[in-house]
Amino acid sequence: MSKPSDTPETSEKQFEDVEFGEDLPEVDVDVSLDTVKVFAKASMMLADRFTDHEAAKKAGLPGAIVPGIMSQGILVAAIHAWAPNAKVLNVDTIFRAPLLVDSKPVASGVVTDIDDDTKVIEVDLTLRNEKGETPVVGTAKVTL
Amino acid sequence: MTAAELLAEYGDHVFDEIDLEIEADSLVGFATACGETHPRFVDPSHADFQGVPNYLTRIHGTRSLPEGFPVEMHRCFDAGKSIQVHQPVRQGDRVTGRSEIHDIYEKSGRTGTMLFIVHRMNFYNQGGDPLATVDWRLVQREFD
Repeated sequence: MSKPSDTPETSEKQFEDVEFGEDLPEVDVDVSLDTVKVFAKASMMLADRFTDHEAAKKAGLPGAIVPGIMSQGILVAAIHAWAPNAKVLNVDTIFRAPLLVDSKPVASGVVTDIDDDTKVIEVDLTLRNEKGETPVVGTAKVTL
Repeated sequence: MTAAELLAEYGDHVFDEIDLEIEADSLVGFATACGETHPRFVDPSHADFQGVPNYLTRIHGTRSLPEGFPVEMHRCFDAGKSIQVHQPVRQGDRVTGRSEIHDIYEKSGRTGTMLFIVHRMNFYNQGGDPLATVDWRLVQREFD
């Protein structure tokens, strides 16, 4: 439901192809109300702060918010948009601020470590909103 | 109580256990809403069909904290989640999740002290094989 901003790698990526400091293709993320409702149903996260702007405002939020684990999944998907064959070993995500439903965030990442012995690649991940803020950041370790 | 005292009293034991069967619709909905497009995540007929790496973060136990744990949930927020993937979760798996308090610690700054509670869930499949370890960082503000 999200679309890479740049032409994605569609073929499998090899460990030898990855460079330290390499940017992952930015992904325009779909956090529309309809898509968040799909996620909420699939994950049984049925609280209306995720799926109803008015209910979220009554709860003191600026609007409906994207579930944190959906943001995490979006960052994982950004890894797969870069390297479809990537095997994610772990991902750690920090929720700094709410990400609003119907906003237009962009997912990005950069390769921050490459271990030639273990073949593990570390990637820093970011979800950026229209204001340039980064409400969700994370790191992941992957192999190819 | 201090963080160390809380950890001594409530840490290091399983306080909740749940199990549930993994359904294809849930795996596909979670993946597509996050923007995954690879058939191994979105096509149940694919030979390697599996959940996305952070799929199990959606599963919560019957309670967030041990009975009697002295925290005020209305003063808490979700600071982040990490997942260590041991092996993919698949359609039809009967998953067991066991909850424990993994760590409790304090951080102090200009605005006061915050209490960090690391809620850990270990997930296993029907064969007892470990699937994932999920850590949820819950933070209480103005801890004193």
